[in-house]
Amino acid sequence: MQIYLPIAEVSVNIFLILGMGGGIGFLSGLFGVGGGFLMTPLLIFIGIPPAVAVGTEANQIVASSISGVLAHFKRGNVDVKMGIMLLIGGVIGSTFGVWLFTFLKTLGQIDLVIKLSYVIFLGIIGSLMFVESLNAMRRAKKAAPPKHKGHNFLHALPFKVRFRRSKLYISAILPIGVGIVVGILSAIMGVGGGFVMVPAMIYLLGMPTAVVVGTSLFQIIFVTANVTVLQAVNNYAVDVVLALLLLIGGVIGAQFGARAGAKLKGEQLRGLLALMVLGVCIKIALDLTLTPNDLYALGTTGGH
Amino acid sequence: MTRAFVPMFKRLMVLSALLVSSGFASASQLEVDLSKPDVRLDVSFEGSELLLFGAKQTDGDIIVVVRGPERDTSMRLKERIMGVWVNTDEVIFEKAPTYYALAATKPVEFILPKAVLEREKIGTEHLGLKAITAPDGADEATIQNFRAGLIRNMVRRALYSSKNSPVDIVGKQLFRTNLWFPANVHVGQYAVDTYLVQDGKIQIHNATNLQVHKVGLEAEIFSLAHDHALIYGLLAILIAVVAGWSANAVFKKRG
Repeated sequence: MQIYLPIAEVSVNIFLILGMGGGIGFLSGLFGVGGGFLMTPLLIFIGIPPAVAVGTEANQIVASSISGVLAHFKRGNVDVKMGIMLLIGGVIGSTFGVWLFTFLKTLGQIDLVIKLSYVIFLGIIGSLMFVESLNAMRRAKKAAPPKHKGHNFLHALPFKVRFRRSKLYISAILPIGVGIVVGILSAIMGVGGGFVMVPAMIYLLGMPTAVVVGTSLFQIIFVTANVTVLQAVNNYAVDVVLALLLLIGGVIGAQFGARAGAKLKGEQLRGLLALMVLGVCIKIALDLTLTPNDLYALGTTGGH
Repeated sequence: MTRAFVPMFKRLMVLSALLVSSGFASASQLEVDLSKPDVRLDVSFEGSELLLFGAKQTDGDIIVVVRGPERDTSMRLKERIMGVWVNTDEVIFEKAPTYYALAATKPVEFILPKAVLEREKIGTEHLGLKAITAPDGADEATIQNFRAGLIRNMVRRALYSSKNSPVDIVGKQLFRTNLWFPANVHVGQYAVDTYLVQDGKIQIHNATNLQVHKVGLEAEIFSLAHDHALIYGLLAILIAVVAGWSANAVFKKRG
């Protein structure tokens, strides 16, 4: 059954979109990640214009993050103060990111930048995760939590703030800086940025793992909401029909994913996820490097 | 197709009956009609086939040209830089049609001389697309490569027809041809030009219009997104909030 998307202006199979939402939702429930970094490239593969894929995916992440953060709030795993600091950075970063997106679109380079960002970030994160999970499997059950780093130049930065829930006393510049970087990525790549935010919170800010995911989700809601509005206003790139279909599939998929996740070991899960991330990375890298069928391509036609 | 065919067939019968009863006396010499007055992009739109049919009183060939709304169109050349294919040179063509379909009783080169084809812009190679922006020092051959690239890209999207599709003559006076509008057509007013040609000269030119427009929910969402982008963006978030909240409620019940 085909459905014509009003903003993307393409006709897609309704069950394909529901299935993709379900599949990514399953993974997101399984691995505890947003899944935006897989969904956006998939949407582009099936022929959704890249700009619409990015804008729409941001809208979908708002919903999935809300449903996730409510559960974390109940367990007290959200450091609101830290979240607000990250958020200040996130709003600055995502606003700049959407501006950059619009600028690159006029230069005709937006598709290249989206794809290159994916190759670089998926490549780095996927390799790190894969190595880490292999090491973890080798170490077997001798699991040691990541140790807090000792004092370094990061602790010498001014504007120190106390974060009670995270048990930290660090400079406000750090979370704001992390927020800015993730905000830019979020706008350009159409991702929540959890896969960059979570490692940064653990290794750079030294936050306890328990509050990391909840706090990350908390700020992702606002950053992706900001991206959604800005993409809608600047690029007319949010397709609510597509977002709604992805949501329905995603909600159902996530339930099954969470159940399946309970049966697998953590390091096996991370190893699997790493392989998938690397797979997407290689596919996009091939697109960029293999000779295209036609060297001449239609550019953007200066808005509607 | 079959759904479109039945009413069309009735109209065709009526038309031919009219022509016969009037004894060809007062009727114009070229009558053209479409099986549907417009193309409607609704939720289930997957592309649409229209039937153009008509009647002519004299011998001669028929050429049908359908042009979509025009728009300045950018073409980019990809070049390999450090192993990666990057968009480099850009040429912008002024007012390229977003849709171009051609149908004729035989290949148009055999019907009309080249000068007339160019004047009337019949055939994709005779569109005469003018470059308004081009890289410094680009010669006509370079521009021609970009122009050919544009046509190739549009043909691949099924928005341009590369060669003319057939116009069938039914009996002596009636003719018909199918027009295909793919799912990626642009909205706007389409110009439908039908020519009756004898001995390399256009005898009669019939010009009519066809609307391609979004209807129902599609039209409302599209106009909201474009005319009230901020409200649309906020509504999109509201939908996401409600969906996220209710998803959580479902989880809670299950847990």
